[in-house]
Amino acid sequence: MALTLLVIEDDDRIRTSLSQAFQDEGYTTRSAATGEEALGLFERQPADVVLVDLMLPGIDGFECVRRLRQVSNTHIVVVSARADAFDVVAALEAGADDYVTKPFEVKEIAARIRALLRRARMADTRPASTAITGNLEVRADEGLVLVDGEPVHLTPTEFHLLTELTAVPGRVLSRETLLERVWGYGYFGDERLVDVHVRRLRTKIESDPANPAVILTVRGLGYKVQPS
Amino acid sequence: MRRLGRLGLRRRVTVAFASGALLVAAVLSAVTYELSRTYLLRQRESSATRQAFVNAGFVRDRLQQGQMDVAPILESLGTTEDSRSFVRVRGQWYATTVADAADVLPENVRAVVADGSAVSRMYETAAGPRFTIGVPIRAVDAHYFEVFSLDELERTLRILTSSLVAAAAVAVLAGAALGHRVSGRVLQPLDDVATAAAEISAGRLDTRLPTAEGELGVVATSFNAMVAALQQRIARDARFASDVSHELRSPLTTLSTSLSVLEARRDELTQPSRQALDLLRAEVGRFQTLVADLLEISRHDAELDDSVLSLISLDELVLHSIPRERLPDIALDLSAGPDRALVMGDKRRLQRVVRNLTDNADRHGGGTVRVGVVRDGDEVRLEVDDAGAGVAAAERDRIFERFARGLHARSGDDGGTGLGLSLVAEHARVHHGRVWIEDRPGGGARFIFALPAARE
Repeated sequence: MALTLLVIEDDDRIRTSLSQAFQDEGYTTRSAATGEEALGLFERQPADVVLVDLMLPGIDGFECVRRLRQVSNTHIVVVSARADAFDVVAALEAGADDYVTKPFEVKEIAARIRALLRRARMADTRPASTAITGNLEVRADEGLVLVDGEPVHLTPTEFHLLTELTAVPGRVLSRETLLERVWGYGYFGDERLVDVHVRRLRTKIESDPANPAVILTVRGLGYKVQPS
Repeated sequence: MRRLGRLGLRRRVTVAFASGALLVAAVLSAVTYELSRTYLLRQRESSATRQAFVNAGFVRDRLQQGQMDVAPILESLGTTEDSRSFVRVRGQWYATTVADAADVLPENVRAVVADGSAVSRMYETAAGPRFTIGVPIRAVDAHYFEVFSLDELERTLRILTSSLVAAAAVAVLAGAALGHRVSGRVLQPLDDVATAAAEISAGRLDTRLPTAEGELGVVATSFNAMVAALQQRIARDARFASDVSHELRSPLTTLSTSLSVLEARRDELTQPSRQALDLLRAEVGRFQTLVADLLEISRHDAELDDSVLSLISLDELVLHSIPRERLPDIALDLSAGPDRALVMGDKRRLQRVVRNLTDNADRHGGGTVRVGVVRDGDEVRLEVDDAGAGVAAAERDRIFERFARGLHARSGDDGGTGLGLSLVAEHARVHHGRVWIEDRPGGGARFIFALPAARE
C-alpha cells in the first residue's frame, strides 16, 4: 500500500507542484493550505509523512508541528526559510524529525524521507533485546521504553536515537555517527539535529533533564549512555 | 601619507615652540647680562673711586706733614691687589710698580689731571680692561693716579655669559620637548580618527570615536554620524539583496519541483522538448545556486556565530567535499596530517570554500589538478591548483570581488554565479583567515585559503 504524505504549504503553486512530484515518487498525497485545515485532515485520516512549511497564515508551522506531535508519531519534515536561523532549532524542538531549506529539490526531500522510513522499518526487524540503564528499560523489539516501569511515549526518531545509544552502553557516539545512523546523513549533516533530539529525549526520560543521568554529553566528542 | 603629514605637523609645532623659547631666552639673557654688567661696573667704579680718593688724601696728608720720601708713603697705602698707584711730585714719578707711568697711564688722563681736574676713565689695554682715576693734590702740587684692573669683573661677566647661554639652551630644549608633547596631545584625537577610519575600512563598522566636549567633540560626533549612516546604508543594501533572494525562493521552488515532474515524464517528450527541458534544468540549477549565494552573502553581514563553530580537520573536510568520481583526476596532498590540520570553523561554510575553489578551478582554470592541505607555522592552508593560464597580478585582488567576471584571462559564460570567489573571501574574513593567489609551480594558478590553526 502506498505511503501517504500530507503537504502543508500556503503557496498554491508550490503545493500543487509538490503534490504532483511526490505522486511521481509513489506517494498518495494530500495537501492543506493552512495549519487548521491540515490538523482537521490529519485527524480524519493520519499520514505517514507530513511536510510542513514554517511560514503559514493562522497557526504557524511550529504550532502545527507541536499539535501534530501531541496526537501522532508520524514523520515530520519542516520546510524552513533559512538554514542558520533560530527557526530550525525551534521547529526541531517542537517535534520535527528533520528539515530542508528553500529552494530545495524534490529528490532531496524524498531522500530524507526514505532515510527516516528505512530506520522505522529496521526497528521492526530488530532482534529481541532489552537494555536496562538505571530506572530506564528499552525493549528495542517491542518499540517500548519504560521509565520506572511506566511506558514513555517517544517518536520513532527519538526511539532510534535512544536505541543506538543504549545498544553500546558506556561507549561514546559522535554526533556524526548518530547523524549517519539515525538520519542517514553523511559528514555534512547538521549536528543540531542530534543535539535537539537528545534534549527532547532527556525531557522525556531523565528525572532532572538539566542534570542528565542517563544520556551524558561528552564534551567535544558526542554522547554516551551511562552503563548501569 | 597620513603618517608623514602628521609628523610634519608635529615637527612644525615642536620647532615653533623651540624658536619661541629661544627668542624669550635670548631677550631675557641679553637684558639680564646688560643689567648685571652695568650694575657690577658701577659698583666697581664707585668702590675704586672711593679707594682712590682715600689714598690721594693719605698721600696729601703725608706730604703736608713733610715726609719727603714718597716710596714708603706709597707702600703704606691701602691698595688692593688689582690696583696700582702712581704719584707725581715735583715732576718726579713714584709708583707701587716697576712699570713706567708714561706707559701705563693714558696721555689724556695725565693731561686732565695736569690741568687741575680729577678724572676717571675706562679703557681697554692689551692686558685687559682698565679703570684709571687721576686726582690733582693742589696743596702739595702732586698728582695721584690709581689704575684698577677689571679682569676680575671681566671673569665674572664671562661666567654670567656662559650661565645665560646654558640656560637659554635648556630653555630651547624644554620648549621643544613641551612642543612635542603638547602637539602629541593635541593631535591624539586626529590619530584616533585615523585609527578608527582604518578599522572601519577593514570592515569593523561598529567602530565609533569617543565623544568629548569642545571642537574635537564636534568632529567626533560628525564622524560617528557619518559611520552610522554608512553602516545603515550597507545594512539596507544587504537587506535588499536578502529580501530579493527570499522572494525568489518560492518561485524557484515551484520551478524546480515542476521540472522534476516533467523529468519524470521525460520519455513521453519529443526530442526538442527534452532539449528544452535540459536547458531549463541547467538554468534553474544555476539560478538556485545564485540565490543560495546571494543569501549566503547577505547573511555575512552578521559575523560568525559561536554556536556553529566546531573543531574541524581540513583533511577530512576536503576528503568529504570532493565528489568521489573526481578523486582520480586530482592529486591530493594532505601533508599537514590530520592532527595538524585542525581549525575552528563552520563546517558548512568551509565546505562551500572547498567547493567554490574547485568549481572555480574547473570553470576557469582548465580543471583542478591538485588540492593540498598543508601546515605553515600557525596557519593551516588549503591550496587548490589549476592547470589554466594563471591569474594576472593586477587581477589577483579584483577576482575576489562580487560579480568580477569578464576578466580577460578567465572569461567566458561558464554557468557560474560570479559570487563563488567573493564568498570564499567572505568566509576567510569571518574565520579570521585570508585568501590569495600565487603562481602554481609549473603553470596555472594556486588559490590559497589559510586559517589560523586551532591550538592542539
